[in-house]
Amino acid sequence: MSCRSCRDSLGLTMASASLAPPPAKSASGAGTGLTIERLTKIYPNGVRANDGISLRVDAGEIFGLLGPNGAGKSTLVQQVIGLLKPTAGSIQLGRFDLVDDPDAARQLCSYLPQAPVPIDALRLREAIELSGLIRTPARRARREDVRRRADELIDALQLREWERMVGTRLSGGVRRLVGFAMAAIQPGALTILDEPTNDVDPLRRRLLWDRVRALSDAGVAVLLVTHNVIEAEKSVDRLAVIDNGRVIAEGTPSSLKSSERGRLRLQVMLAPGVETPPMPGFVERHLRSSHTLLAVIPEAAAADGIEWAQRLLGDGIAEEYALGATTLEDVYIRMTGRVADGDGTG
Amino acid sequence: MDAGAAADGSLAARAEPGAGPSHWLHGYAAMVRWHLLSLRLWAPAATAIEILSGVGMVYGIGLLAPHLSARGALYATTGPAIVALILLGLILGPQLVAQEKMAGRYEYTLTMPVPRSAAAFAWYTVTLLIGLPAAAVTIAAGVVRFGVSLSVSAQLVPALLLGTFAITMLGYALAHAVSKPMATMLITQVLVFVAFGYAPINFPSSQMPHWLVEINRALPFLPMATVVRAGLTRGLVTGVWVSYLVLAAWALGSAWLALRALGRRG
Repeated sequence: MSCRSCRDSLGLTMASASLAPPPAKSASGAGTGLTIERLTKIYPNGVRANDGISLRVDAGEIFGLLGPNGAGKSTLVQQVIGLLKPTAGSIQLGRFDLVDDPDAARQLCSYLPQAPVPIDALRLREAIELSGLIRTPARRARREDVRRRADELIDALQLREWERMVGTRLSGGVRRLVGFAMAAIQPGALTILDEPTNDVDPLRRRLLWDRVRALSDAGVAVLLVTHNVIEAEKSVDRLAVIDNGRVIAEGTPSSLKSSERGRLRLQVMLAPGVETPPMPGFVERHLRSSHTLLAVIPEAAAADGIEWAQRLLGDGIAEEYALGATTLEDVYIRMTGRVADGDGTG
Repeated sequence: MDAGAAADGSLAARAEPGAGPSHWLHGYAAMVRWHLLSLRLWAPAATAIEILSGVGMVYGIGLLAPHLSARGALYATTGPAIVALILLGLILGPQLVAQEKMAGRYEYTLTMPVPRSAAAFAWYTVTLLIGLPAAAVTIAAGVVRFGVSLSVSAQLVPALLLGTFAITMLGYALAHAVSKPMATMLITQVLVFVAFGYAPINFPSSQMPHWLVEINRALPFLPMATVVRAGLTRGLVTGVWVSYLVLAAWALGSAWLALRALGRRG
């Protein structure tokens, strides 16, 4: 790796790290937000998927739910949307008790599941309009309003070229965006997005995040479930990390990262097939995922870190490296002991 | 106005969940549209398959028994359409639900903000739209093949509506109540074999062992055949009102089971 690419990478990392997190919304809209208290779900086979989870998503707030596979995120979402019944605890959306009234949950919450939406034979535009029609209350369901909102979303997500194409012919990323539009066309009081950017290209990811922000600006509470910590860091107002069915951290991205102040992340791309090299003394902790070695070092050891990485390059052990500010991913790794899935890792 | 702002404009409306007849009707109409558009390729194919199987059955019976009595000809004319409707109700719904389950899309359908009964009734409506034209063509083919004349009465309407409802809800209930798609398919296949081979639909009950007829009287297939025949012929079948009662019991039981299964939370 050249010094220039090293600097570029460093610059990019620093730039993203310096982005101020979106301001957290005031709690004034909490009356219509989501409040989960001591939620516990034990499956018939004895697995305790959620273990006393409490969290709050205010109206107008984007709340990230992060955690590794099997952490209990999907179980939590399925209880909110009324597909699973909690073993104990409460789920309140505004004044509605969603545990007692799953019909209200289905009407007041819009949902983009992780699985593909069933639109094989539907044209892109039809799918969005139909969802709008189904989701809009009877007394307000005017076809032209639904059509106009579908148009706005199609333009905003740049989907116009596929609008007459049936689902089977759409790429995975476009189908994902259609699924998002099917929820966003009539978002209700709470929108739940489970890995919304899976398969979506980088350009449209940005458009998608703009629309998610537009939802929250319109007063919708947004619950974002993701593995992708780097995207979450840029997109959410607050977040919770859950692992083994429990909330292990909660706060704004900045507040969670504050525990990493005074440290840097050294990311080393190892050459294929090489063993993990011995760690020098200044590395506080490290983790290897595939070819990527992530090491956290004190700021004071920056020069030592660069020298060590250059030596790895010279010995053919590494192919490139980047030194930058610690990110939410480093916090996540420290808490869960795992590298985040998704494409933010590399 | 951007999409977010547009969403805001209608957001207040969803601060309260809908209820009442207009909410039900809105959800019902939207789901009929959803199903018809989702099945835009399959629905005509399903009607065509229904016609092919029904007409094939008519001509197959004609080949097996070329010299039918007048009574036998009436059974052969009216039976295949009823069998084809039973196959449709027991196979189409469960197969589609099984496909959704295997593709991981079933969950999405369950989260649609439509009353469960409206969703079930929408599926019943779609089954009628696919099945009734095929039934009409099949009966017409029987009339042509066997040269019989039918006495169609107004009773045919409730008979077809109730019979198709009972069978469709039975399939729908099995599709949603049995969690494993393969188990659903197995159960519906068994029921199809029962309807095909062990129910006196294409021939009179008198040609079947008495004990088997008694079992069939409690199942929905023979009662459906009886009430539909009562609407197509005169003096051919007896026990029509009892058949209506048995069919109504199956319709209510299956609908109850289907709604319970749809509303079940694990």
